[in-house]
Amino acid sequence: MINANLKSSYAADERVLNNRYKQAFVYATILGLALFTLFGNDYLILIASQMGILLIAVVGINILTGYTGLVSLGHGAFVAIGAYAVTIFGNLGAGVIPAGLMPFISVPLAVALAAAVGVLVGLPSLRVKGLYLAVATLAANFIVIFLIEEDLFAPWTGGMVGINTNVPNLLGWELDTKREMFGLIAVVGLVSLLAAQNLIRTRIGRAFIAIRDRDYSAEILGISLLRYKLMSFALSAAYCGLAGALFAYFYARILPEQFELALSLNLVAALIIGGMGRTMGPVFGVIIVVMVPEVIKVLFGALAGDSAGAGQLRAPLQQIAFGVLLVLFLLKEPLGINQIVDRILRAANRWPFARG
Amino acid sequence: MGQFVQFAINGLMAGAIYALIAVGIVSVYKATKVVNFAHGYLIMFGAYFYFTFAVIVPGQPWAPAWLASWQPGWMVEMRGELPMFSPVAAVLDWVANLPRILLGLFGALVCNAILGRIIERVLMRPLMGQSIFAMIMVTVGLISILSGAAQLIWTADAASVPYIAPNMPIRFELFGTMIFLFGTDLVNMAVALLLFGGIVAFVKFTKGGIAIRATAEDQSTAYSMGISVPKVFSRAWVLASTTGAIAGAILATRNGISPSLGLFGFSVLAIVLMGGLDSYVGVLIAAMVVGVLEAMTQWKMGGGWAEIVPYVTVLVVLVWRPHGLMGQKEVERI
Amino acid sequence: MSSAPRAGPKQLLHGGGRLLKIEDLHLSFGGIKALQGVNFEANAGEITGVIGPNGAGKTSLFNAISGFYKPDRGRVSFEGQDITTLSPDKRAALGLARTFQNIALFRGMTVLDNIKLGGHTRLNTNVWQALRYFGAAQKAELELRREIEEQVIDFLEIDHIRKYPITMLPYGLQKRVELGRALAMRPRVLLLDEPVAGMNREETADMARFILDVQEQFGTTILLVEHDMHMVMDICSRIVVLNFGQQIASGTPEEVSKNPAVIEAYLGAAA
Repeated sequence: MINANLKSSYAADERVLNNRYKQAFVYATILGLALFTLFGNDYLILIASQMGILLIAVVGINILTGYTGLVSLGHGAFVAIGAYAVTIFGNLGAGVIPAGLMPFISVPLAVALAAAVGVLVGLPSLRVKGLYLAVATLAANFIVIFLIEEDLFAPWTGGMVGINTNVPNLLGWELDTKREMFGLIAVVGLVSLLAAQNLIRTRIGRAFIAIRDRDYSAEILGISLLRYKLMSFALSAAYCGLAGALFAYFYARILPEQFELALSLNLVAALIIGGMGRTMGPVFGVIIVVMVPEVIKVLFGALAGDSAGAGQLRAPLQQIAFGVLLVLFLLKEPLGINQIVDRILRAANRWPFARG
Repeated sequence: MGQFVQFAINGLMAGAIYALIAVGIVSVYKATKVVNFAHGYLIMFGAYFYFTFAVIVPGQPWAPAWLASWQPGWMVEMRGELPMFSPVAAVLDWVANLPRILLGLFGALVCNAILGRIIERVLMRPLMGQSIFAMIMVTVGLISILSGAAQLIWTADAASVPYIAPNMPIRFELFGTMIFLFGTDLVNMAVALLLFGGIVAFVKFTKGGIAIRATAEDQSTAYSMGISVPKVFSRAWVLASTTGAIAGAILATRNGISPSLGLFGFSVLAIVLMGGLDSYVGVLIAAMVVGVLEAMTQWKMGGGWAEIVPYVTVLVVLVWRPHGLMGQKEVERI
Repeated sequence: MSSAPRAGPKQLLHGGGRLLKIEDLHLSFGGIKALQGVNFEANAGEITGVIGPNGAGKTSLFNAISGFYKPDRGRVSFEGQDITTLSPDKRAALGLARTFQNIALFRGMTVLDNIKLGGHTRLNTNVWQALRYFGAAQKAELELRREIEEQVIDFLEIDHIRKYPITMLPYGLQKRVELGRALAMRPRVLLLDEPVAGMNREETADMARFILDVQEQFGTTILLVEHDMHMVMDICSRIVVLNFGQQIASGTPEEVSKNPAVIEAYLGAAA
């Protein structure tokens, strides 16, 4: 490894993009996304939008699971809260608040609500470690979906059959095409990723990692477990709420079943496959998690045609592929794709000397 | 009052089945420190195996006729004279089904034991000694694999499966109201409680049980004392999958067969946490309490709300007693 | 090596007095009595040693002082304030730092990040600033970095390993990094749990020198558990002796080494 770099100031040494390659990569990505928004084909825009929305949620899970070491199997609930809250606030506020300002009010409200519920669900985890949180969040997921489906709240949530969503209007600009929405998702996604990266290199991020690695040692350094666990929980729920708000804006209709356990498991799987506790982990993970079912769909279409019977087989196959992928990564590469990429970059960096 | 007793009894019967499911989660946790999130899906497989051997196999053209329905001459004679809904008729119907019930139970036990063994060998053992987190996440991956696989294997519409006990209605008076029960529910409850008690006794008193407890206490010490830890692991998984097979068969008769049977695992996970993860007694109490609460909720608020009873209860209990009702607080050595 | 003394502790040194006071401390786990009536004071700016045979309750005492164990009876006070019921993180914020017998560094992080964590309580970056980074958060981070570089990394002579992950370091250096992390807290009282256990002579001498330097330069009050009698006798100004949870002696090194109860505890009944 390289452990000596010529740096003339602490600021230079603390930079994240500390070499030209990293800078070039980031600028190229931004340029690429801009070009893609303008010229990408419709199908790819759809796929990329799914990835972008999922990415924001997985970045949130990464804060909680990857950095703070708390497992959640119910973050689909917070995506649901974000999606439903932004829609319900939008409906309630229609006519009162000018349409062009609506997203600037309803989205923060939805995110705040998700974070508040996150704190509530995170409470049991404070006094006990480990799995209790996983089960508590799982329970919260079931409860939230149940409440959304419940007849009592159906006038607002639409119940089992779902609810039509609003078209976001940013200061008079209506994002009524998928392409425009993708532009928004790409910007929000990039900003979310950057913000998470920033968080991790400050005292708060260090406190999260300290809690993950050795909680009693963190306490002795003055880190309040209560405060930071709840903060991590609130932040991850807020990210998921934001993803949910974009989800609602992106699709014409939302249904409770879209936010069930399967989504929560997807989020965790994407994180593990991509690489926990690494900035780029969620990016890699989300690409895989969205691509694999698509690839299976295409392959299956080529092999079996579009008959109804084939369609019936496709869903379980996707599910199995997904589980197998998760298990394989856990067994063979627990640190995820990020680790593989790191290894390749390291080897490239050393070439033509020994690999390793 | 009578209504209350009726629902309380229903609740206790459901609670016993929860307890039987929970035993599998607790046993695996005790031996391996892994909370098996996919246990519900093992149970679903148990249910499907029971369905396969009790319904599909006897229905095949190559299967002997007595397997599908055993009708010796004396039975047909007896049956003919009986009125509808007579208890004896219910018993006779059960006897006619007995061959396929036994085949179903046997098949479910064997197949689930093999499944549990495979999961332990292929997925859990390579991770032994490494992070518990990875093992737990593997069980999360198993959820997808098992539920997808079940949908691929059993594509046919599920028919109803035979009850494992004579299903005569039982009526008696208690506190001035009629209580109405089905025989099979009582037998289910008895089977569940007997199995639960048997497993607790096994873990408490036998050599194999002591090996499980020693491994739970300290894996490396147990290993160095000559206990084969891998064997303990696989024994715990087989124990979980076989009790899961029985629970699956019972659930199949009560709730019908569908991939959503796997969801029971999550309610039971909540119950296990409530009870305290490593305490059989605590888990039994929690299972009964949740069973009764569910029945009461169903009575007062309708069936829908009963679904979330275990989840709400677990959240409340964890805030109140973080280690569950009977769980032990670990003394941390620093 | 930096010679810039820090303001706070230095003043305390001059102020003198009793910084940490342990009164009648009792602690038990089930039937095992780990501590039975421990009483002593750590004077400001001095090094106080706690010794005793294995299982005497030394680490239990430390855990009770830093807040992991709640004592059954007795008081721990810090600068006259009763801290017996405070949680470990609140005690840390007051200026109580410690190291552990089995090194408790964050293994996934670099040396630098570990030491930065010691500065946690002195920063007050909030979530919004952290998410934005540029501005207040960056300013605070760079200030912390400068301070750590000058006052901890140079001081402990670990500048060559600052970017190494902990797992790559040998045991002796890990111990030194853990001391650095505690120093970054600018502690008023520093608890060192067996700082030289498992070290060779040279490493022990280095560590003893660092401990003395810390006391001298920063005026830190130090409480030390150690088995290495030579080191304890050399650097401590007062010594407390525990045996089976009971305090059997306390005083200067000379007094303690002549105390018959201490000799008996270490060598068995005198022949």
